[in-house]
Amino acid sequence: MAAPTPYTYIQCPCSDVSTLSHPSDPNSPTGTEADEDDRTFDPRAPRSNYSLYPLEYLLYCEDCHQIRCPRCVAEEIVTYYCPNCLFEVPSSNLKSEGNRCTRSCFQCPVCIGPLAVTSVETKPDPRLLAPDNIAAPHSGPYALTCSYCHWSSTEVGIQFEKPNSIHAQLAKLRNGGTTRLTAKERKERRRDPAHRSATTEGEESGEQEDLDLETQFANLKAFYQNQLADPNSADSGLAALGDLGFSSPTSLSRIMSIYTGGSLQDKKAKSRVGAMREALEPDEGLQVANLDESAAIEQLQSEGHDGTACTAQRVDQPPHLGEEHLHGRGRFTSELRPIPYLLRTKRSKRCPICRHIISKPEAKVQTTRFRIRLVAGSYIPSIAIRPLSLSNGGGSASGAAAVPGALLDPLRPTHYLLTFKNPIFETIKVTLGAPSKTPGRFASKVTVLCPDFEIDANTDVWDEALKEGGGGGGGGGERDRERERRRRKREEGSQSNNNHNQLEVGKIWERGRNWVSIVVEVVPASLRVEAGDGPLREDEDVLEIPMFVRVEWEGEAGGDEVGSVPTRDRDTREKRELAYWCVLGLGRIRQS
Amino acid sequence: MSSRRPPRGEYIETDTGNKVARKATLVGTQNIMLGGKTVIQPEVMIRGDLIRTIQASSQSASGAAPNSTAVSIGRYCFLSRGCCLRPPGRLYKGAFTYMPLRIGDHVFVGAGSVVQAATVGSHVHIGAKVAVGEFAIIKDYVRILDGTVVPPNMVIPSFSIVAGQPARLIGEVPEGGHEAFELRDIYKTVGNNPQPAPS
Ligand SMILES: [Zn+2]
Ligand SMILES: [Zn+2]
Ligand SMILES: [Zn+2]
Ligand SMILES: [Zn+2]
Repeated sequence: MAAPTPYTYIQCPCSDVSTLSHPSDPNSPTGTEADEDDRTFDPRAPRSNYSLYPLEYLLYCEDCHQIRCPRCVAEEIVTYYCPNCLFEVPSSNLKSEGNRCTRSCFQCPVCIGPLAVTSVETKPDPRLLAPDNIAAPHSGPYALTCSYCHWSSTEVGIQFEKPNSIHAQLAKLRNGGTTRLTAKERKERRRDPAHRSATTEGEESGEQEDLDLETQFANLKAFYQNQLADPNSADSGLAALGDLGFSSPTSLSRIMSIYTGGSLQDKKAKSRVGAMREALEPDEGLQVANLDESAAIEQLQSEGHDGTACTAQRVDQPPHLGEEHLHGRGRFTSELRPIPYLLRTKRSKRCPICRHIISKPEAKVQTTRFRIRLVAGSYIPSIAIRPLSLSNGGGSASGAAAVPGALLDPLRPTHYLLTFKNPIFETIKVTLGAPSKTPGRFASKVTVLCPDFEIDANTDVWDEALKEGGGGGGGGGERDRERERRRRKREEGSQSNNNHNQLEVGKIWERGRNWVSIVVEVVPASLRVEAGDGPLREDEDVLEIPMFVRVEWEGEAGGDEVGSVPTRDRDTREKRELAYWCVLGLGRIRQS
Repeated sequence: MSSRRPPRGEYIETDTGNKVARKATLVGTQNIMLGGKTVIQPEVMIRGDLIRTIQASSQSASGAAPNSTAVSIGRYCFLSRGCCLRPPGRLYKGAFTYMPLRIGDHVFVGAGSVVQAATVGSHVHIGAKVAVGEFAIIKDYVRILDGTVVPPNMVIPSFSIVAGQPARLIGEVPEGGHEAFELRDIYKTVGNNPQPAPS
């Protein structure tokens, strides 16, 4: 994926095997300090792909005081809902009805666009039946049509008598419009002696009975259940074992499972079950495969590749609904059926170590509020990267990378401003560590001019509280005025600072209410490939700096909320610390 | 957005804090409702003239909105250069009529996009060169990536990230990504006295 540059990705501790093996002492990070110092992190390592996340994707466990990522949290489903009609589906329905919407919500089998119910008589017009148009002139029959690619269910011969409860109607229809028997109807047909005699007559006249898929399955199942239940399963070869009491397949498999615990059982049981006889007639579920594929070949010749369904289209298809038989199923786009919408979920997330809930949305489908939402962004500093152009003075330093997204010139020193913003209500001490050369074949030189600094607390409690509670609703003028006042203040401050900014080792570049900017100097590597070396690999020209960040602060002793209630009681404070790797993506190096 | 400083007076700033570019085309302004603090960049077109010609009986009883409103926009919306807001239209009881287009708060519409939705919720980011088809319903906290074509009548639930032609769900907005939809800061960077973006 082409990542927007510059970017900052943070590594979740779950990728570190050592932290996972000692989950019980999250409060003593000093134990692993020695290892962390020795180890360097290679953002290019294949494994890194799975552990680096933008800050927004990370959560934070207040009990473990640790970052949690989408890969390590345990998810629990709060609500199932249809993404099209936005109705909640109770989980009890899920067991009986499956994980798709049973209202009239369908996707186009060709392009996945939404399908609308339209009247077949009047020319299919997607505008005709938008959701709230109840009073439109209706006349059957109806079809499902796609407003994006103009596919219509009439193409597979499916039409509906009523414009509502499409799902139930569709369940009874095969492609081509023939009816599909419901389970109940099938049962009745099996019991119905008239039907039975009719089929036997048919057989006598030499015709094989045509079983539909569900009937065939039901027949087979009944047949095998009989076989298993019947202690003297007929003319089988089990007679020899009769004396040992093994004559019944069920008792045999029971005995075998006692001794083998499963692994051996399959093989043995198979040989025994094989001794049972197989289905021999349609009543027992025998359906002779129709091997004549000439029709399919003919269609392939006439429609060509475009007429065939791609894998994605076939995967989306509900199984075994369109066709009468298993063989010769859904190869052509002309056989694709409307796809009922797959349900979506709202999920809460638990910390994998302590099992506390760290994210929990409200159950109602239409609300976007969260009961619990512990995002890492409220606990660890954000890092913004900006190219720094030194227009006046500076001499050797140039504004090479002043335009975001521009290519970096090899071997030319370039400067970047890293702005760390402190989200918590305590002053934090930040210590940075970065290798002087980036890992990989093309090592760029990296110098963090000020790897050690403090950031003032995020003191504006009111602002944050409003932001949390308001959810973006009203806001109000007072808040805006306050923001405005702060902004002006900050601006005045930075204006006066600007003149004094200098590239000096150990000095921060700029400081604000709850943020600090520092400078990183990089000398991008030359991408010249030596003779005998392999060619430039994908993304090998991206300049990524691995950086170890250690944040220290004093928090409430015992209290779990790191940054919520800023009581100024100095006696109950304790030192806290959080350390993690991150990677700074600066951009691509120009290929010479 | 661009580093170019606009010349003085490029925007008309209203009492409620709307910043409307002089070079934007607003047709039927009396039918366009702006909630305040909304930025309308040059070459934006809003078709307030496409008003509903047939009134639904149920609608007039509820009295939710004045019937002549064709396009309503909430607070802190940002309409980028060259985008177009157009009420959707359809046949209703045998006659063609337009229906109002309603947009919530903190909605960003990218450059060159065309929006013909029935409703767009709050905290929605619509990228550049996106086509939102007629009567689409976009809920809150939705991100539509550049170049997406949202088919007519499509419903996009909250916290969806969609892309492609036609639009397809490609991801979910993470818990930590809610604040990124806020448009208060970008509002200040535009206008006759633009402020630099906060670092
Ligand atoms: Zn993780
Ligand atoms: Zn549905
Ligand atoms: Zn389609
Ligand atoms: Zn935990």
